[in-house]
Amino acid sequence: MEALDLHSQFIIEEYQESLPVFERMKEEVLTVLRDAIGHNGLVVTAIEARIKTEESLAGKLALKGAKYGSLSDITDILGARIITFYTDDVDRLAAITEQLFEIDWNNSVDKRTLHQLDSFGYNSLHYICRLPDYPFRFEIQIRTTLQHAWAAINHDIGYKSGIEIPREYMRQMNRLSGILEMADDEFSRIRTEINDYRRRVQQLVQNGKLDDVLLDGDTFRSYIQAGPLDNLNKRIAAINQAEIMDTPLIRYLRVLKALDCQTLGDVSRLIKKYEEDAYILARHQLGNTDIDIISSSVGLQNICIVCILSSGGGKVGLKRMFDAINGHNSQNDAIADITFELASNLPFMKK
Amino acid sequence: MTTTINSNGNQLIASFIGRLDTAAAISTAEAVKPLMEAQEKEIILDCSQLEYISSSGLRIFLSIRKEAAQHNSKVIVKDINADIRQVFMMTGFLSLFDIQ
Repeated sequence: MEALDLHSQFIIEEYQESLPVFERMKEEVLTVLRDAIGHNGLVVTAIEARIKTEESLAGKLALKGAKYGSLSDITDILGARIITFYTDDVDRLAAITEQLFEIDWNNSVDKRTLHQLDSFGYNSLHYICRLPDYPFRFEIQIRTTLQHAWAAINHDIGYKSGIEIPREYMRQMNRLSGILEMADDEFSRIRTEINDYRRRVQQLVQNGKLDDVLLDGDTFRSYIQAGPLDNLNKRIAAINQAEIMDTPLIRYLRVLKALDCQTLGDVSRLIKKYEEDAYILARHQLGNTDIDIISSSVGLQNICIVCILSSGGGKVGLKRMFDAINGHNSQNDAIADITFELASNLPFMKK
Repeated sequence: MTTTINSNGNQLIASFIGRLDTAAAISTAEAVKPLMEAQEKEIILDCSQLEYISSSGLRIFLSIRKEAAQHNSKVIVKDINADIRQVFMMTGFLSLFDIQ
């Protein structure tokens, strides 16, 4: 503070008096950003904001205090940062930011567009923004997680030490930036392709072309959402007027694969083939009880049980099924025994 | 029906003794309330002395599971007897709980 000239000291005093204003701005900016990101269905790594410390401001003024007429000329006292997973989300967030805040275009920088063709370096989008009713501008940076990692490490080994790093190491850092830029583009491309794949799968499921869809976690989820087990579960629930608790069925994926289901068409045929016996098994089990709550997995569970037992899988097959659903543990032997005993007199066991 | 809750490090152990039927459900639901607020704990439902569970009891177990998931806690159902094992199997609850 002693090293500062009088003009800079006035700016520091103005900063001290204005800290409560910056605190209010910070909360408002974070709230506006979080709401907008949530509203637009975006998922980001982090939304953060900080107010420049007095020490940091004093350092800045010591270097170039004469450049600023007053505190309001300094645009990074409040800085917010949004860190995204994907490059294309930076563009989406840029468009959202432009709608949310008044942008000072003369001072905003898209460093992504400033690169020379033959060099790489810091990639980030910086907006200088203003909120209505506040006298100060603030900065928003938008960057990907990889850009953020590069910038943070570059800051740590470069600026933080206060010593300019040798050109050779600078070149190596910039070379890494190029690799990360390629990785960012690849992540975005992979996400786009996965989304396209999911859309194609949903279309095939909707059009009933189930034999064209290989069975995996994604396709199984899409198929189950179409409700192929709803009818069976409702029939089972009707045995005791039971409530159905919605349960994820993903644990059954391994069981279905072990039952040689390779496509959704195979799963569909399995359901059709065994659903009547699965209902009979449920009626036999639940009919003499007053249990009025079931899980939505009960239909598929019984289909798998019937499939295993009617194809001669016996207790060993059931044990493997419960291992796949519950993980290996000693209880599965006993559960397989009970299941086998309960089913032993049913017609499908005698086919 | 008696329900006790003990703490052991990061674990909360709820021990159920007797028959968890409709009549016992109200007092049991009250007794397990401390489990509902447990943050990042391993919740053990010790059923080694639980003789019977009704639909009301299953709903209590489901509530514990639901709250645990919201509080980053994990629920393990331990030492269920043959009758209760059968109930879990018939209802499809096996795939809802970690049963040991």
